[in-house]
Amino acid sequence: MKKVILIADDSPTIRKFVSFSLTMQGFEVISACDGMEAIELLPSKKVDLIITDLNMPNLDGFELIKSIRENLAYGDVPIIILSSLAGSEEIERGMSCGANSYLVKPFDPKRIQYEVAKYLN
Amino acid sequence: MQTPTNMSQIFDKLNDLKDIFRFGERIVPIIQSLISFMRDVVPLLESINTSIADSTSQMPKAANQINNVTSATELATTEILDLVDDISNELVVVDGIFQKILEKRSKKDELYKKLFETLNKDSEEYKLINEIYQLDDHNGIFDDIKSKMQKINDDTYKITLSLQVQDITAQQLAAVTHLIEQVHGKLASLVNDIEHAEIKDKITDKHIVIDEHVSFDPNARYDKSEERQQTVDNIVDDQKRKASQEEIDKLFS
Repeated sequence: MKKVILIADDSPTIRKFVSFSLTMQGFEVISACDGMEAIELLPSKKVDLIITDLNMPNLDGFELIKSIRENLAYGDVPIIILSSLAGSEEIERGMSCGANSYLVKPFDPKRIQYEVAKYLN
Repeated sequence: MQTPTNMSQIFDKLNDLKDIFRFGERIVPIIQSLISFMRDVVPLLESINTSIADSTSQMPKAANQINNVTSATELATTEILDLVDDISNELVVVDGIFQKILEKRSKKDELYKKLFETLNKDSEEYKLINEIYQLDDHNGIFDDIKSKMQKINDDTYKITLSLQVQDITAQQLAAVTHLIEQVHGKLASLVNDIEHAEIKDKITDKHIVIDEHVSFDPNARYDKSEERQQTVDNIVDDQKRKASQEEIDKLFS
């Protein structure tokens, strides 16, 4: 059975890039356009890993990670931040919220495949 | 009857009045030149106001055009990515066909080997079959096709990496639109105080359509170098190290 990855990003092109990079590796990718939609999607499918942007409308990445970590059902799901923010303040805040990895945009598809494989293979 | 003291006070007052008239005489030319200056400057100020109003009224158009550009590039990028996706899928299919050809080729080689074993090396049959085998040997071509397929695969990868420029420019353009909106708001409120209906109309008629569902990083930049990710990795590693040290300290405290 294919492992499911949820990508939360308000940019349709980034959602497409991530989906493109990971479906090639045999993963099923579902997408949400912001943190709120990601939270709404979570109960509908067993998600094995989450990739999230930080700058998003309605509910940003920091709040999304916090909400996931506070929920026992998804507390252990690996979370990868994928953001154009590369300042130490944002990185430290993101990791403190409970993310497992931090990737910066523009990203190398090989790197994202490597990070996903680290948690799922 | 008036006393001399009262008379003296009246003269003092008259002197004061005389001073005031003298001052008035001096100030009147200044006031006149001030009025003349105002007469010259008011049309200028009006012209400045009209210019500001014109520029302000153009701002929504500029902002909306930027938004349109973002939407168009987003659409084009998605279309290109769909095509790249198709190419990748086709490559997977071609690779599958190629593997089947190689499997057949391997079986064919085994059969040739068995055939050669049954024949005398000096016989005519051996020489003929060997000639056919040599003609049938496409290993060099197969290697060529494989390396070309790998090249196409690598190129599609590079295309996906380069297309991420759209996301970065979209964020930068969103930052510009936001800035225009702020300046437009400030100028509009400034010009709004002017009692000039025509100018007011010019500004209040047009609005910037701001997509509430857009968030952006104003400092987003298209930097493909590995150093940026390396810096992020170092910060993450430092933080993880710090966190694990804190856990150890907590355990032994």
